Amino acid sequence: MKNFLLLTLLLLGNGCEPFVVEFSDLSTPKKFEAANVDSNSKTYQGGGIKVLTWNMRFGVGRFSFFGDSCGEDVVADEQTVAQTMEAIAETLTVIDPDIVLLQEVDLGSKRTGYWNQIQYLLDNTLLNYGVYASVWEADFIPTDGIGRVNMGNAILSKYEIGSSERIQLRLRTDQSDLIQYFYLRRNILKSEIPELASSSQKKFYAVNIHATAFATDDTKEKHVAKYLEILDSIHSDGHVFVSGGDLNAVPPGASIDYCMNDICEGESYHVDGIDPFHKEGSFFDNFIGEPDILAPLYQLYDPAIAEDFINLPEHYTHAPSTSILGGGTIRKYDRKIDYLFTNLQWDDMSGHTHQACWELSDHMPISATLSNLTED
Amino acid sequence: MVRALILLTALLVSITRGGNANWDSHSAHIMPPKKWSVGIFHPIRYGIKEGLELSSHPAWFFVLPNASFKIPFSDFKSFHTATRVSFVYPTPLLNMLSREGIGGMIDPNLTIPPMLGISGSLLMSKELLGVNTTIKSGFDFGLVFGDLDTRSNIDLPIIYHRLEVFHNGWGLHAGVDFERALIRKFRIFMDLDLKLLPDLGTKSKTNNYFMRAGDYSIEHKLLFIWERSSTFRAMIGYKLVSGQYPYGKQTRLLPYIPLLERWVPLIELQWLW
Repeated sequence: MKNFLLLTLLLLGNGCEPFVVEFSDLSTPKKFEAANVDSNSKTYQGGGIKVLTWNMRFGVGRFSFFGDSCGEDVVADEQTVAQTMEAIAETLTVIDPDIVLLQEVDLGSKRTGYWNQIQYLLDNTLLNYGVYASVWEADFIPTDGIGRVNMGNAILSKYEIGSSERIQLRLRTDQSDLIQYFYLRRNILKSEIPELASSSQKKFYAVNIHATAFATDDTKEKHVAKYLEILDSIHSDGHVFVSGGDLNAVPPGASIDYCMNDICEGESYHVDGIDPFHKEGSFFDNFIGEPDILAPLYQLYDPAIAEDFINLPEHYTHAPSTSILGGGTIRKYDRKIDYLFTNLQWDDMSGHTHQACWELSDHMPISATLSNLTED
Repeated sequence: MVRALILLTALLVSITRGGNANWDSHSAHIMPPKKWSVGIFHPIRYGIKEGLELSSHPAWFFVLPNASFKIPFSDFKSFHTATRVSFVYPTPLLNMLSREGIGGMIDPNLTIPPMLGISGSLLMSKELLGVNTTIKSGFDFGLVFGDLDTRSNIDLPIIYHRLEVFHNGWGLHAGVDFERALIRKFRIFMDLDLKLLPDLGTKSKTNNYFMRAGDYSIEHKLLFIWERSSTFRAMIGYKLVSGQYPYGKQTRLLPYIPLLERWVPLIELQWLW
């Protein structure tokens, strides 16, 4: 009888896990390891460290997802996900980065066939270790057939990942409580990589961010400010970092209005009396200072793509998945919203925007190589 | 107010009319001829004639046409035995849930073809050591008349394994119910049901895309019953669902209210006269 009661209490306890996962300000991300860790590559042998950031759009490529850019579809078919994931793994193998900062990775979401995308990438690339911090984790999203979802940021590395933190970013304030409950909880993922530390006093960190895309309040300002605070803290403590992600912010000097690029059939923008005047996520002047919100990052740290080149088309990193030009040509990229920074120094001209990957996501990866750490 | 509404929604009210206090629709006991019971959430049960009971969920009937027939067998080793055959046509409801916006539980781009679910169960009931016991087992068949997209599932406890029968074609179920007196006017009811979908998931092309996986579900319910009079009883308890899903194992205590992130008791009231 006593055992029965204990078993019942245990089952009841398990049965009360949250339906939608909310996070404290600081929490511990999930860790992963490749099925076969390459013992040679897990040890730093000297030389440059190649870092790559990529919003991989949960491995659906240019699938017409309903959540962005005029899409209508919800659950991707097996062929789409399988082909895209295979291509992403091949791309990572060819580029061969040491550290990868990923945004929009799915981990058991219905829309991608419950695929564990982190484990797949670890098992099918030269990367050995991973950490994952959920941005959107719910048993069931009761809208548009989304169902179960778990999407987030990940850091993959050839080298073992040490202590890691999931740092909660402020939630949007321009949503109802109901929408916010089921909505994304963005974060910064910060991981120490002990193998790359030049000494016990000088730690090496990888920091990954996916800032808000659609907020029309000051949420983006808060997200970038928090990001700067974390980078500054690492820097002022005498440590080093490589960092980046999808900041959903255009660089200083860029065009700030993409509403007409992103407009969908039946929508109207820039029309007096029609609300909203601008399309959410396509306008980058929602609060004072937004166009220059990234200027401090450029002033303080070394960007993978030098400031002189950031507004050149060859460094655009994003265009919505279904944006179409008048002539019916797919718009592959028309703005830069993805970035890499370090408080060390990238090798000259090593920064590269991989626009050839435009079919694998609505974001292009950026990579750059750090100077030889042993010379630091 | 919100909690009150939720409790109200969780309230399972049944009104039973007739001379036989036959509360349990899952037992081998058949509703006597011309007697009937009705409930908001419970099925209507009607004794068509001696040895034939019809039941159906009225609240769902127009979007989820359904009917069950129960026929007695001769007693077996002092067990009352009966067979129950159930039919359900879920297509209209599923196509309603395949919609854009709030309330959409299936990808709105997917159309559910005509489908017919058929379940056959053998029921055996007996009082054992003062406990009313019912043992049941049977087959489930999901007949699909068209193309059913693998993506058209609803990945929620209770619902998932009932719908996956249509992807798998067939399944098995078995269970046991117990009810006994505790003290004075209090009774306890407990059941345990197992659903199996053999080989579900073996048809996936890759080892990573698991839209159809999760071959078992165990459902358990516990109710404390207060028999206030011969015409009214109230119940309070819980339902626990544990199973394998495409995303792994999960156990969920029900009713669970997402927005409050808490479980609320299952409350059921029944009147008889």
